[in-house]
Amino acid sequence: MSFISTSFKKQELHDPGFLRFIFGNTAMAPLWMLARLYLGYQWLIAGSHKLWGGDRWVAVSGPDGLPLKGFWEKATLVPASGKGQISYDWYRSFLTYMADNGWYHWFAWVVALGEVTVGICLILGVFTGLAALGGATLNFNFLLAGSASTNPVLFVLAILILFGWKVAGWIGVDRWLLPALGTPWQPGVMTRGVEDHLPLVGHHGRPAGPATAT
Amino acid sequence: MEKTIALLLGILAWVAVGAIAISVVNAWRDDNQVLAFLPILAAVVAAWGIGEVVTARVFTAGEEK
Repeated sequence: MSFISTSFKKQELHDPGFLRFIFGNTAMAPLWMLARLYLGYQWLIAGSHKLWGGDRWVAVSGPDGLPLKGFWEKATLVPASGKGQISYDWYRSFLTYMADNGWYHWFAWVVALGEVTVGICLILGVFTGLAALGGATLNFNFLLAGSASTNPVLFVLAILILFGWKVAGWIGVDRWLLPALGTPWQPGVMTRGVEDHLPLVGHHGRPAGPATAT
Repeated sequence: MEKTIALLLGILAWVAVGAIAISVVNAWRDDNQVLAFLPILAAVVAAWGIGEVVTARVFTAGEEK
C-alpha cells in the first residue's frame, strides 16, 4: 500500500507560466475588463427587462412571477411522443415542485434581482469572482431547463472570468476592495486588526499572545 | 480629512459608473449594444483613473512620508 502514500503525498502542482500570465497577471487586466463589461452588460439588460422593463416579472399589477411560471410550465412539459426540454428527471421534478407550490411569486424576484446584481457587480468590478460565479449559476440553471439562447457563451465567459478573478476586477472596485478586505496572498487592511485579536494565530501565521523571554 | 475626501471621491466615481450603466441600459436596451458599451467602458476607465491618481497622491504619498 505504499503506492498510495507515494501518490498522495503532499506536493503542490504549479500552473505553467502562460496560464499564470493570462489568469493572474495585471498586464492582462484590460482584456479581462472588456470580458467583464460585456458579461455584466448582458446580465444588466436581461435583469432590467425582468425588474423594471415593460414585460417585467415583478412589481406588476397582478401576481408577481407569472412569466416565470409560464417558463417553468413550458420547460417541464413532456409531449406525448418524444422528449421534453429537460433531460434530467430530477430537475424536472424540482421545477414542477416549485411551480406547483407557487414559488414563482418570490423566485421571480430572486432571478430578477440576481441578474441585475450580477450585472452591476461585473460592470463595477465588485467581488468579480463571486459575481461571475453567480452568473454561471444562473446560466447553468437556464441550460438545465433546456433554454440555450446566449447561455452557453455567457457560461463559458463567466467560467473564464472565474479563473481570472484575481485580475478581472483590477480595473474596477476590486483593485481597492480586495486589498482592503484581504486576499489569500495578502492580509487585508481592514481585517488585519481582527486577525491580530484572534486567540491563537496572529496575522502572517504568528502565534498571538504575550511574548515570552527565552 | 484628506483621506476621507479621497475615499468619498472614489466611492462617488464608482456610484456614477453604476448610474451611467443603468441609464445607458434604460436608454438603448437591446437596440445598439456596441453604442451602449462605449459610455460604460469610458466611465469605468475614468473611475479607475481617478482612483489610481487619488491613491498615488493621497494614500501612497502619505505612506512614503
